[in-house]
Amino acid sequence: MATGSLRWGMHSRSAPLNGGRIVVIALVAVLAYQVLVPLLLIVWTSLKTIRPGEPGFLELRFTLANYARAYGISEFWEASLNTLYFASLSTFCAFFAGTFLAWAVERTNTPLAKLIGLVTLGRIIIPGVIITISWILSASPSIGVLNHILNSLTGVPRLLNIYSFWGMVWVQSLELTPLAFLLMSAAMQSIDPRLEEASAIAGAGTWSTFRRVTLPMILPAAAAAALLIFIQTVESFEVPLLLGGRARTAVYTTQVYFNTSRMPTDWGLSSTYSMVLLFLSLGLLYVYFRLVRHGERYQTITGKDYRPRRIDLGAWKYLTCAASLLLVFFITGLPFLTMLYASLLPRFRPPTAEAFAAMSLVNYKTLLTEGGYALQPLWNSTVLGFSAATAVMLLVAAISYFVHKTRLGGRKVLDFLAFTPIALPSVVLGSAFLWLYLLVPLPVIGTLSIIGLAYLTRYLPFGLRFVSASMVQIHRELEEAAAVAGGGWGKNFRYIYLPLLRPGLMAGWFWVMVHAYRELTISLMLARSSNRTASVIIYDLWSNGSFQQLSAFGVIMFSILIVLVAIAQKISARYGIQERV
Amino acid sequence: MTQAVRTIVLLIIGFVTVDSTRAAFGADSSTEIYSKLAKLPADQRAKQLEEGARKEGSLNFVHTWRGKIARDHVNLFQKRYPFVKVEMGDIGSQDAAERFIAEETAGRHLTDILTLGVPDMAVILKQNLVASYPTPATKKILKQYQNFIEPQNRWTPWYWAEHGISYNTDLVQPDKAPKAWFDLCKADFKGQVSFDPPETRFMAGLYVMMGEAKTKEWFKCMGQNQPIIQQGHTQRMELMLSGDHAVQGDNYFYTGVEAKKKDPKAPFAMVLSAPVLSFAGAMVINKNTQHPYASALFVDWTLEEDSQNLINSILRGPLTIKHPYLPDDVKLVTYNIVGDDVTKRLHEAWNQSIGRMK
Repeated sequence: MATGSLRWGMHSRSAPLNGGRIVVIALVAVLAYQVLVPLLLIVWTSLKTIRPGEPGFLELRFTLANYARAYGISEFWEASLNTLYFASLSTFCAFFAGTFLAWAVERTNTPLAKLIGLVTLGRIIIPGVIITISWILSASPSIGVLNHILNSLTGVPRLLNIYSFWGMVWVQSLELTPLAFLLMSAAMQSIDPRLEEASAIAGAGTWSTFRRVTLPMILPAAAAAALLIFIQTVESFEVPLLLGGRARTAVYTTQVYFNTSRMPTDWGLSSTYSMVLLFLSLGLLYVYFRLVRHGERYQTITGKDYRPRRIDLGAWKYLTCAASLLLVFFITGLPFLTMLYASLLPRFRPPTAEAFAAMSLVNYKTLLTEGGYALQPLWNSTVLGFSAATAVMLLVAAISYFVHKTRLGGRKVLDFLAFTPIALPSVVLGSAFLWLYLLVPLPVIGTLSIIGLAYLTRYLPFGLRFVSASMVQIHRELEEAAAVAGGGWGKNFRYIYLPLLRPGLMAGWFWVMVHAYRELTISLMLARSSNRTASVIIYDLWSNGSFQQLSAFGVIMFSILIVLVAIAQKISARYGIQERV
Repeated sequence: MTQAVRTIVLLIIGFVTVDSTRAAFGADSSTEIYSKLAKLPADQRAKQLEEGARKEGSLNFVHTWRGKIARDHVNLFQKRYPFVKVEMGDIGSQDAAERFIAEETAGRHLTDILTLGVPDMAVILKQNLVASYPTPATKKILKQYQNFIEPQNRWTPWYWAEHGISYNTDLVQPDKAPKAWFDLCKADFKGQVSFDPPETRFMAGLYVMMGEAKTKEWFKCMGQNQPIIQQGHTQRMELMLSGDHAVQGDNYFYTGVEAKKKDPKAPFAMVLSAPVLSFAGAMVINKNTQHPYASALFVDWTLEEDSQNLINSILRGPLTIKHPYLPDDVKLVTYNIVGDDVTKRLHEAWNQSIGRMK
């Protein structure tokens, strides 16, 4: 059995049905259900000028009219070009900043490394809409707090303008730096330091070692980070909508929004636009696979023992510390402080003695005294965040194992299916799940389950890239040794891979949990009276209430999530997967 | 693969066919009930309505107000009629209409009533999904708002909302403030006037006020004055009050009035010399409602005193009593639905003149 488990991996095409194959079949079935049905709905709708539900929608007669309409206008191509610039620049900046922070925190003796890491991650918790508004309040030419300060220091008014293309790039880069940080720090935790030591002994400097040894070893994580950041930026909505409108810069998502959002929603056009994202994602996934096709080159976790070692930067450590602190101030500190400041005011105004005198806790009081209004949705989001993150990470760990550690036929299909949802805009995915469960008579409408199932699909691609980046670093010799000692694939997966994947799993779990907590579009489409989530409350406050109450809710949410993450880390450390290297 | 795709599609077709057939058979029941109710004397009608609602015991309602005000509104109804349990979802007009259509198409009659802005209602009327509900409750509606009443009783108006011009009094002195819609095109306001991205409900109002040619002309001159396009009515108002820009080319007044109520120093003023565009929020009853009596009871209640007083207290426009802050002589342009073709042309004109970006 022991060697058999390896054999099916090596010669799977002729192997009999065994445990591993059954698991793969089950995974394909789950993915087909979760991914293929919404995907089919989107492709189908893009080929129809009839709305879903109208007579003729399900007839096997198709048209390319939506494609001609969507891509036949010059605005689409102008917006696409803007998107390319916007996404490329944001990806470059976020990747550079995130990698620098990950390196400083994980691989060097930079002071305050733990604090820098924690504050960087804290940023992910704050919803994007609040961050964008915080930046408007900080760097708007007329009312920006930073502009007031700079004006008093330099005498030059309106020095910063957040309503510009570069303002968009700045906010988007800061928004996605924590994602790059998470992916890169997980990979950097798994590097065997002996290679860096050998480089140092051979006379290479710190920069040279980073460039020629460290970076190539973490190529899968770097490629995954760049891939996800790029696609996330192409898909991003809050920054282009709130800043791009004022900057008069249309990008892909705002172009789609303006062309499809009028009543009634133009589902055909909307689906057609999402096909671009699908093909773009698949193209980038292909590039990613080409980059990491020699998996054995990145296998740094072997059977030999090693102890993580940090590079001594000498006096330079103070410079890296200062640079990191400045970065995290912009990433998390400034937006959080703006949010905290606004939450204490009855009406937003620049910080003056009068504004400080008007401060009170009334916004918090209003939120918390309204019975279950805010509390039940917060609880719902907590349940959804924990369960969606756990389910996604378990599923992607299994998928990643079969994709990267076996030669089973069709394993790439697993990767393709799990990655495809990245191309499905949330609004289309939410709508597809609504339609699906209106048609399939399962009693999930109005429950947390329907939102959880949609989240599962939504976050599969992200979870997968987190885990895959760690999976390719694990050398197969560990499994081979276990197989010789009598371990089957299940035991190997449980006792070898899961513990070694811990950095990637934890990073991915955290990312999915927080994003599930923040997710708005799907939650809005599937919410009813009993399954409202925290983000629906945020939307209520945004569209109906005030920025002050919204900020107060953001502060509460930030506090809850920090506590949840701390609990999760404690649980993971005490009862979770033990490292056995 | 092709076979699998075909199987899934056929499965969906099967579900839809079965459920549509089911929907079609029960389609007229609510309309029949309502036409019988309409023939009864007022006291008998009221008694029958209440008895029927008591038997049904619940209803599903989609509110397009959001958050606290929606909950307060429903709680007030439940206080009056504790025997009807209201399951409420609160989502925006567009989402509400889309979801309602999806449910009905799938044959799942999950929503009994929804409330929508009348200009957003065209799509569900076109699909013939709503019951005709003649009700004596509309007799209470004040004369100046009677244009909102629909002759075929497919919707029941219960409040109204406004689109108008307002400005920051710290940035614009009252004597320099715009007085008419075309004043927004003046050089004084270049780069200082904000709008939401194109909204049918706003453009329909302009169309009714000035006609198509003038509306297009206004779009053109507005576009040349570099307007600010930013999503979110409330946020835009807050930004204007903070001094971010000077004028709201189109916004609900109540957010500014509310801010002024909280803080009398808030620099907000309305332009009342220019006509104010006004459309109704209306209740529609699902043709396939599972709770026809409870639904009718709720719709009638929205025009009663306690509901209208609540509307007044949250600074929206009640239909049966005086407006909380607008003077009686305000120039109102009331409108309902404009045709699909007009809407399409207006959106195109907006995109060409105002929406065009780099």
